[in-house]
Amino acid sequence: MDLLDLIDAVQSVADGVLFGATYALLGIGFTMIFGVMHKINLSYAAASIGAAYASLLVMAVLPVPPVLAYVAAAAAGGVIGGLVYLIGFRFIPLANPLATLMSTVGLLLLIDEIIVHMTDGVPLNYPALFSDVIVHVGPFGLRGDLMFVFALGCICMVLLLLLLYRSRLGLATRAVSQQPTASLLCGISTTRVNVLTFVITGVLGGIAGAMTGAAIGMLSPLLSLPLTVKGLIVTVIGGLGSIPGAIVAGLIVGGLENAFQFFRGVSERDLYIMLLLFAFLVFRPGGIFARPAGRD
Amino acid sequence: MDFYLGLIQIIGVHTLLGLSAYCVLLTGQVSLAQAGFFAIGAYLAGMLTVLAQWPLIPALALAGVVSAAVACAIGFPALRVKGLMLVVATVAFGEAVRLFFFNFTYQIQAGALHLGPHGAEGFRQIRYFPENGWSTLDVVLFIWVVVALVMAGLWWLDRSRVGAVLRAVGEDELAAQSVGINITAVKVSAMTVGGFIAGIGGGIFAHYTTHIEHAQFGVVLATFAIAYPILGGLSNVFGTLLAVIFIQGFLIEGLRFMGDWRNLLFGGLIVLAMNVRPRGLLDAGTTRALKRLFSPGREQSGA
Repeated sequence: MDLLDLIDAVQSVADGVLFGATYALLGIGFTMIFGVMHKINLSYAAASIGAAYASLLVMAVLPVPPVLAYVAAAAAGGVIGGLVYLIGFRFIPLANPLATLMSTVGLLLLIDEIIVHMTDGVPLNYPALFSDVIVHVGPFGLRGDLMFVFALGCICMVLLLLLLYRSRLGLATRAVSQQPTASLLCGISTTRVNVLTFVITGVLGGIAGAMTGAAIGMLSPLLSLPLTVKGLIVTVIGGLGSIPGAIVAGLIVGGLENAFQFFRGVSERDLYIMLLLFAFLVFRPGGIFARPAGRD
Repeated sequence: MDFYLGLIQIIGVHTLLGLSAYCVLLTGQVSLAQAGFFAIGAYLAGMLTVLAQWPLIPALALAGVVSAAVACAIGFPALRVKGLMLVVATVAFGEAVRLFFFNFTYQIQAGALHLGPHGAEGFRQIRYFPENGWSTLDVVLFIWVVVALVMAGLWWLDRSRVGAVLRAVGEDELAAQSVGINITAVKVSAMTVGGFIAGIGGGIFAHYTTHIEHAQFGVVLATFAIAYPILGGLSNVFGTLLAVIFIQGFLIEGLRFMGDWRNLLFGGLIVLAMNVRPRGLLDAGTTRALKRLFSPGREQSGA
């Protein structure tokens, strides 16, 4: 491999790491819902894409600058998150994880179909910010839209960590995720915490959906299944319930994905990500930041 | 008429797929890898009858055995993890199998035709049934004989000690372990049996559609596989059959007149069904009530 190839390889890995911020946000969403409710929400990535579509709808109705698309996506994500909780979780017994798993699958199909129904299945362009900016660092060029996506993702993560570790709501959320019964006895309303968790992760998901749209340049209902799989993989590689793990794993998966794409082509790319996941499950089932054993 | 025979074929094959997930679900594990085993069975059985000119039944048997072996090998690392981790691990396995067949090309020249799987184009010309003069009715009968055998086998298994062990592990792993059940062995065996059934189902699927490609074996098929037993209820094998008829017969074919709205209704009805009957359409209570209805003479008090 000569120097030019090496530069190209590093370039594509850098692009992948910047894009990995979306995977990190999705991974955080899956991890938080699992942490608080011990349930899997398979409709999460579809809801994120749905929120991004909703922001396109807002843009079409109101003449607003593109920046507000992200705000609209976040708001729509929060609303959809609350609805998902109400429809798929609220009225199904807690002791029956299979039923909630199935209801979120139903929601995944439902959200996808609503999108297809409203757009006739045609992919739509999504406005990207700073898409004409390219920052040159030595021989490398960093795309402005990807850098914006990365920065936005980082801001969201910092805000989320502040919310979780510096506020009363965060304290309650962490308490419920550790011991639901004990926190109920301490006067914390678990239902309220659950709803708020779904709204918060929905907001994050909406931003992640908008970021995906901006980075790829378009939105399509076909995105929701691959994003679900990637988000789940990020969750496991990062360690279940670990938010820093989800962040690091998201960036790693993003970077490696582009590296594999560069060396082996797009059709084999995901195969190696799956093998990476298997390696993690066999050698380090707890993920990157495995919790010390023996608790609870 | 052919339409209904085709529908009955689809229901039969999907029942096999659902039963393979049913085995694994009995032990309390959610496996989304069944589409992967289904794909392995489909490609292998197709290659055996088309490329090696094997008769159908040995080809199906070998496809089942190989799928079972893969399931067993996957079971050991995958079943070390539980819950969400297992879902992800099995999704990843299923996708890895699909991507393997996406990149898999093995063709031979036969006259003017190229036979065998060809990457993204898929595997065409699996023409065992027409070449050997099977009518559609023969195929339907063959499929349902296999389905009946598998269902009878599982029904019997459920009545025996093995079924009790499987359900014990599914209900409470810790309690099962403390009465001396080797839970790893139980889970891996359930996975292996599930792999075997999925492999046979895949083989039959390949032969009646005559054309398979990687996209048919994705996450959607895997979620359907677990949807059947969960929607139908885990109390017995007929729940799975009922759910397959409900989804394939009613939701997919019966509502076709609704056009675009059918797919919208589809997801919504699944959510509704889970909200109304979280233990499945045919749960333990309903089964008991039905039994009492059909055998009033042997009614037991307090049952």
